[in-house]
Amino acid sequence: MDRRSETAGLDRFQSGHLRHFDNLSRRLPNDWSLMKGRSFGQDDFGAYRFQLAYMLYALALTHLHRLPAAPGFFKPVYGRLFEKLLLPEVWTYWHDSSRGGSIFNQHLAHSYKEEWDPVVRDNIMFSAYVQSLSLLFNYLFADDRFAKPGSLRFKFWSYFWGGEPKVFAYDQNSLNEHIYWLMVQSGYVGVACEPNCVFQICNQPAILGFRLHDLLTGGSRAEEVTKGYELAWREFGRLGDDGHYNMMVSEDTKAVRPNVGKSPWVDAWCGALMNMWNRDFVRLHYPSQIRELVVEGADGALSVRVRPRPEVMGERVVTDDCDFGWVAVWASEMGDASTLNGLLRHADRFMNPTWLDRGLYYPRNDQTEDAFGNRTLMEPHTGNTLLGYARLNVPDGLWRLFNEPLDIGFFKNPALIRVAENVDVQRAVFIDDTLHFRLASQDGERGDGNITVGRLVDRSSWVLDCDGHEIACGNGGKVTTSPSDASVAAEADGVSVRCPSLGVHDFEMTFT
Amino acid sequence: MSTQVPIGPPGVMGGFSLLDHYGRHVDDLTYRGSYVLMFFGFTHCKVICPRNLAKLSKVLDRLESFAERVCALYVTVDPARDTPEIMRAYLEKQSYTRFTGLTGAPKNIRDVLSSFRVYSRRRDDEDGGYQMPHSAFTYLFDPRGRFVEHWPAAMEADEIYLRLTRLLED
Repeated sequence: MDRRSETAGLDRFQSGHLRHFDNLSRRLPNDWSLMKGRSFGQDDFGAYRFQLAYMLYALALTHLHRLPAAPGFFKPVYGRLFEKLLLPEVWTYWHDSSRGGSIFNQHLAHSYKEEWDPVVRDNIMFSAYVQSLSLLFNYLFADDRFAKPGSLRFKFWSYFWGGEPKVFAYDQNSLNEHIYWLMVQSGYVGVACEPNCVFQICNQPAILGFRLHDLLTGGSRAEEVTKGYELAWREFGRLGDDGHYNMMVSEDTKAVRPNVGKSPWVDAWCGALMNMWNRDFVRLHYPSQIRELVVEGADGALSVRVRPRPEVMGERVVTDDCDFGWVAVWASEMGDASTLNGLLRHADRFMNPTWLDRGLYYPRNDQTEDAFGNRTLMEPHTGNTLLGYARLNVPDGLWRLFNEPLDIGFFKNPALIRVAENVDVQRAVFIDDTLHFRLASQDGERGDGNITVGRLVDRSSWVLDCDGHEIACGNGGKVTTSPSDASVAAEADGVSVRCPSLGVHDFEMTFT
Repeated sequence: MSTQVPIGPPGVMGGFSLLDHYGRHVDDLTYRGSYVLMFFGFTHCKVICPRNLAKLSKVLDRLESFAERVCALYVTVDPARDTPEIMRAYLEKQSYTRFTGLTGAPKNIRDVLSSFRVYSRRRDDEDGGYQMPHSAFTYLFDPRGRFVEHWPAAMEADEIYLRLTRLLED
């Protein structure tokens, strides 16, 4: 895919995923409808924190690569989802998990104590998302609100139990610094998730955070950490003897836990993220790994090969591993269109794609297979987030975020700086002195159908076309000729344009 | 009334209470008034320590009279083997005489490693000995004992020299 085609516009499925992210972002605090997975609490891989984090990464990648001139859509959605990441429902699992006792470290449980601060010790499976995503907000939207001391605040208080409020305050820089030093103290092997368990996967977002901090401040922490990480993991091997990614290493014994079950999520999640800084390595091993993880169906459809999990302590393990979703994400990052399209074909055929409030998602289904043996299992993380992420990503999407610093035009060129709730933005890019945007709006929903084009102060005269017809002219932020229905009007910080209510409409604002 | 909430945990705290290579008790207050360079390692180290101690020694030589305002400390991560006498002998023999060796009781060393966020662990050799892989940062503190910055092992001598001269000339 060439880069121009990436900004040619979203299809209705991509647009539907974005709308679903937006719909979830607008849920009232502590309304987690459609997001609860199969297992108890927030411990496993489908937890709210992962759904929120990967919706945020997906938004970032879409803004960066597909709709660069639509900050007015992305910033509010991003802000709302990020605020949810700080809600106690998302992180208070840690006061239990911090005591240890998982199947990996029962022998150490006596040496751990309850910890309420969700980022101070271990728990990189949460802290790295807050770190990287607060920095990413600053990076993408040139808004340093999370750099202000104390702006990342984890607060818990209950009327019913627990006594005094518990408040832990950080900001994007202090949290980045803290995680950096935890990484240093680990000898760059990484910071643990559950106590004693250092997962390769969960340290990758922290590396992205270091890189974003470097991009914002001019440092070189990401380079230092990735060099150290390479050296540290040389002792254990990033891959196991079977060619699949090692899952984790135990801090106390330095024993490596390989991916013996060839679980798709282990390879796919790790590979998709690690591609950002270690592309040659990831791509070298991808073909042989992916071959073992997917199974062919009819008409080019593909599914994932998942082996039954062994019982542990006489119990069946129920976790939302999200194998299907992660393999789709990995294929998208690798630019493996045939695998990605095959998986999406299967999902659309057997996994009940559903439209709700103009949003597209795949609702939770606990049934592993249908009567014909087709995989139907759908975890909320896959259905809400990962399949959308995969559809919206571009080849090397994360790699480009990591390696290609934003140019000044991303922030200076005319762009949609406000978008009403009832407007879908399907295209927004500034090319060769023309702002191209494609809108669809719905009557009867919240919002006035308006968008605002901003960053016009330094611009001279312009002509605005809608579906090939000239509808307005102006100069900078002034409107000199406008339609009689006042659908184009000057505002304090730009020019508002009302989207016609029916259908999809292409606009071009050409500057001379 | 609002309550002041501390902002995150501290990074490098920098406190210590150890023995120098003459066996005298020293702590972070001992060196106030000077810039302090600190490097962590162990005298059995085969590569990292010799390379960095040599590099830092050359930088200090280049500083000439400015070097009088800098105390260079070499803190062991291996207190079981690195007694004050062993450290003094090592630094003299290798001509790292600008450095003062610091060691102490295992608990005090653990505390200082934690305070400086230093990584180290014991790795047994096949011949019955052991190595102590460790962080290879150089830490810089100002004359008031405040942490200024740290430099990775890969930082070139010229860059370190420039950074130090910039500070010392101010």
